[in-house]
Amino acid sequence: MASEPWRQGSREVHDYTEGNGYPGDQHSLRLRRVSSRVSNQNYPQFDWNPPPAEKDEEGNRAQPRDLRGIPLPMALKRAVRQVQQMQVPVVSSRESWKRKKTKSLHKLKDNARGWLSFFTLWSKSLQKIGGNFGGGVQSYFLFLRFLVVLNFVSFLLIAGFVLIPSIVFRSVGDSLVNSTGPKECMEYDPNPQGLVVFYNYFLNLLSGTGFMEYSYLFYGYYNNTTVEDSNFSYNIPLAYLFTAVFYFAFCLICIIARMGTAARVVVVTGGSAVGNYSMIVFTSWDYGCLGDRATKLKQKNIHYRLQVDLEEESIKKRAAALTLCQKIVLYALRVSMGFVSFGLIIAAFYGIFVATDFSQKNSGEQGILGLIFEYLPSIVITAGNFLVPLLCDQIALIERYAPSTTVIVALLRAVFLRLVSLGVLLFTLWSQITCAGETTVKDCTLCQYNYNVYPCWETRVGQEMYKLTLFDLLINIVVLVLVEFPRRMVVDNWSSKLAQWVGRQEFVVPANVLGLVYGQTVVWTGALFCPLLPLINTIKFVLLFYFKKITLFYNCRPALKTFRSTTSTFFFLVVLLFGWSLATVVMIYSLSEIHPSMGCGPFRFFPNMWSIVPKSFYNLSEITQEFLFFIGSQEFSIPLFALSCVVMCYFITLASVYGKSVALLRAQLKLEGRDKQFLVKQIEELSRQHHILKHTAGAHD
Amino acid sequence: MGTTASQLGKDLLSEYQELTFLTKQEILLAHKRFTELLTKDEKDLPNTRVPAERILTLPELKSNPFRKRICHVFSTSEQKDGSLTFEDFLDLLSAFSDSATLEIKSHYAFRIFDFDDDGTLDCGDLEKLVNCLTGETDETRLTTEEMRQLINNILEESDIDKDGTVNLSEFQHVISRSPDFVSSFKIVL
Repeated sequence: MASEPWRQGSREVHDYTEGNGYPGDQHSLRLRRVSSRVSNQNYPQFDWNPPPAEKDEEGNRAQPRDLRGIPLPMALKRAVRQVQQMQVPVVSSRESWKRKKTKSLHKLKDNARGWLSFFTLWSKSLQKIGGNFGGGVQSYFLFLRFLVVLNFVSFLLIAGFVLIPSIVFRSVGDSLVNSTGPKECMEYDPNPQGLVVFYNYFLNLLSGTGFMEYSYLFYGYYNNTTVEDSNFSYNIPLAYLFTAVFYFAFCLICIIARMGTAARVVVVTGGSAVGNYSMIVFTSWDYGCLGDRATKLKQKNIHYRLQVDLEEESIKKRAAALTLCQKIVLYALRVSMGFVSFGLIIAAFYGIFVATDFSQKNSGEQGILGLIFEYLPSIVITAGNFLVPLLCDQIALIERYAPSTTVIVALLRAVFLRLVSLGVLLFTLWSQITCAGETTVKDCTLCQYNYNVYPCWETRVGQEMYKLTLFDLLINIVVLVLVEFPRRMVVDNWSSKLAQWVGRQEFVVPANVLGLVYGQTVVWTGALFCPLLPLINTIKFVLLFYFKKITLFYNCRPALKTFRSTTSTFFFLVVLLFGWSLATVVMIYSLSEIHPSMGCGPFRFFPNMWSIVPKSFYNLSEITQEFLFFIGSQEFSIPLFALSCVVMCYFITLASVYGKSVALLRAQLKLEGRDKQFLVKQIEELSRQHHILKHTAGAHD
Repeated sequence: MGTTASQLGKDLLSEYQELTFLTKQEILLAHKRFTELLTKDEKDLPNTRVPAERILTLPELKSNPFRKRICHVFSTSEQKDGSLTFEDFLDLLSAFSDSATLEIKSHYAFRIFDFDDDGTLDCGDLEKLVNCLTGETDETRLTTEEMRQLINNILEESDIDKDGTVNLSEFQHVISRSPDFVSSFKIVL
C-alpha cells in the first residue's frame, strides 16, 4: 500500500497545520497558491494556515476553544494553549466566573464518567464481542444488558412495596371486608394431601404447583390486610395494584428514554437509501477489529456488502425495465405468497389454541405425562416459532423482494407470529376462566368465573407464565448443548463436503432478539399474577448472557451480512414496545373486567381489582379529593390539551425550519464550488495571457 | 519536556489530560505500552522517536489495513517516515478514543484516506481506499467494472460541488449522517 507522499513537479503536499475543522471558504479563496503548470484537471492546493489576524479575533470573541478538539500535533496544541493563556481576554467578571464554573463542571463530568464506567456491567466483555463480531451482534448483547437492569430494578420496586410489607405484616393486620360470597367460591386448598412422592417436588418446581403454589411466588399467597397504626397505615391490596401499574409505567419510560437517543440518530440519517455507497466506504471499517482473522472476515464482509449493493442496483435497473406483463405476474406471485405465509401463521395459532385447550382439560394428570400436558402450550408455541419462520424464509425466496426488504418482511412476520401466539394462549386461558365471557353459563354463574377448575385463577395464569419463562430458558440451554456444540465439533473435525456446506453456526441477531422480546413480554404479562417473575427473569437473562457469549466465541463465525447497529437498536425497542402494549392490554383487562378469585389473593372480596381505588379514595382528606377531582375534570384537561397542541406546533415548525436551512446550505455549497471553478478558469486565463505577453516581449528583444 | 524513564510527572499527566481526550488511566496505560516498545538504551532518553515498524507490532494496529497511513498521519517527524514519539502516540489515541468529537475523528479519517496527501479524495485515493477495505488479494478485489461503478456512485453521492473530488466539507457531510462512525472509529488499548 503506497503511503509515502510523492512529489510531482506541479503538486505540493497539503499542509494541515491549521486545525480549524472547516477551513472556511473565505480562507481557501484568499490564500490559494497555484502552481505554474496547473491543468484543468489538477486543482490548486490549499494552505490551511489562517492569517494571524483571524486567529486573534476568534480568541477574543468566543470562549477559548476546547484544546482537545484541535486537530494538531501535541507540540502545536501546547503553543496554542500558551497563546491562549497569555491573551488576557477582556471579559467581565461575571463572564470569567461563568467560564470557571463550566471548566470545573467539565472536570466533574469527566470524573463522574470515569467512576460510572467502573460500575458498568460487563463492559469488557461487550467490547471484546464488538471487536470480534461487529456492531450488530454487540447490539444484541447491549439490549440484553438493558433488559437485565430493567428487570432487576423492577424487582427491587416490587420487593420494596409488596413483598417485604407482605412478609412483615403477615400475621398482623385485619382484612378489609368480611366474607360475603357463596361458600363454594371460597374453597381453595393448594397444599398437597397425603404422601407426596419425592420426584413430585422436582415436577412441582418446574410447573409451579404443589409446594410452590402457595408461596410468595404467586398471587394467591398475598392477603388483603391493611395495617393501621397510630400514624402509619399500609394498605397491601392498594400497594399491590399501584406497584403493578407503576411497574408498567416505569418500563415504558425506560424504553422511550432509550429510544430517544436511537431515534435522534435515525431521523438524522433519514433512512439508509441515500448516500449508501459513500457511507459504506467511508464509515464501515471497524478500527476495533483485533487480529488477522477478524480483519480478513471484516474485509470479506465489506466486499460482500459492496458486491450485493452493486448487484441490487443492477437488479433494480432491470426491474424498472420489466414489461407490464412480467410485473403483473410478479405482483400476483407476491400477493399469493403473502396469503400462504399468513395461512401458515393462522395454522400455528390454531395449533396453539387446541394445545392450550387440551392442556387445561387434562391438567389433573400425574407424573411425567402430566408434566408434558402442562408444558404442551409452551412446546407448541416454541415449535411454531421455529418452523414457521423457516417456511417463510423459503417463501421469501419465491417472492424475490430486494434483499433489504426481505429481511424486514421476515422480521415482521416473526414478530407477529411470536407475540400473537402468546395472545392466543392468553385468549384460550381467558375463555376457560370466564366461560368465554358469558356469566350465565352453568359453571360461571355462581362466582362469575369457573370456580370448579380454577379456584384461584390468578395463580393459574401466573403459573402458565412461569412455565413459559422456564421453558424458554431450558430450550435455549438444550439447543446450545445438543445442537450448537456438536455442530461445531462435526464441522471442525469432519472434512467432508456436507460438513463444509453446512458450516459453522452463524449468530443470527434478529431471531435472538425476538426471543428476548418474547421472554420479556411473558414476564410483563405475568407480573401481576406472579410478583417474583421479574427476579426469575433477571436470573434467566444473566444466565442467557453467559451461555450466548460462550456459544458465540466457541461455535459461531461472524455473519457475512451485517445488521446495522444503530437502526437495529431502534427497531429492537419498537418491537419491545409492541410486547409491552400486549401486556398492558392484558393487565388492564384483568384489572377491570374479571372478577377476582374469592378464595385467595388480596382482592378477594371486590367485584374487580380496580374497585379498591375508589374505595380508598374516599378515605383521603377532603382537600386531596377535591384536588384530584379538579385534575380529572374538564376545566383542567381542555386548557392542558390546548397548551400541548401549541407546543407541538412550535416543535414541528422548528423541525421544518432546520430542514429548510440544511437544503439551503447544500445549495450554497454547490454555488461555492462553481465560484471556485470560475475563479480558477479566470486565473488560468490571466496567467496564460501573462505568459504570452512575456513570450512576445522576449521575442521582440 | 518529554517522558523520562518509566515515570510520568504529575504536571505532565494533567497537561496531557487537558490536551487530549484521554482519561488518566488511559494515558498511564498508553505510557506503559509505549515504554514496552523501547529498547533498554532508548528508555533513558527523553522524547524518543520509535520507528514505524516497531509501532506496527502493537496488536491493535498490526492487522489494521490502514496502519501505515495512521502512523504517517500522526507522525511529526521531518523525514515523514511514520515514526512516533510518545506525544504523537497520545495524539493518535486521543483521536481514536471514546470521547473524541465527531469533528476531530472525521478530520483525521479524511487525512488517513488521503493517500496522496493533496487535501482532497480523488479517484486514485478512492480506489486505494476501497482496495484496503476489501483486501489486497486478487480474490477479494472488486473487478475493474465494479470499481468504476462504485467510484462513480460515490462521487455522485458525495461530490456536491461536482469538481471530481471529495473535499473535507463534503466528507464531513457524509460522515455526519452516519450513526456508526463514532463508535467504529475507535482504538482502545
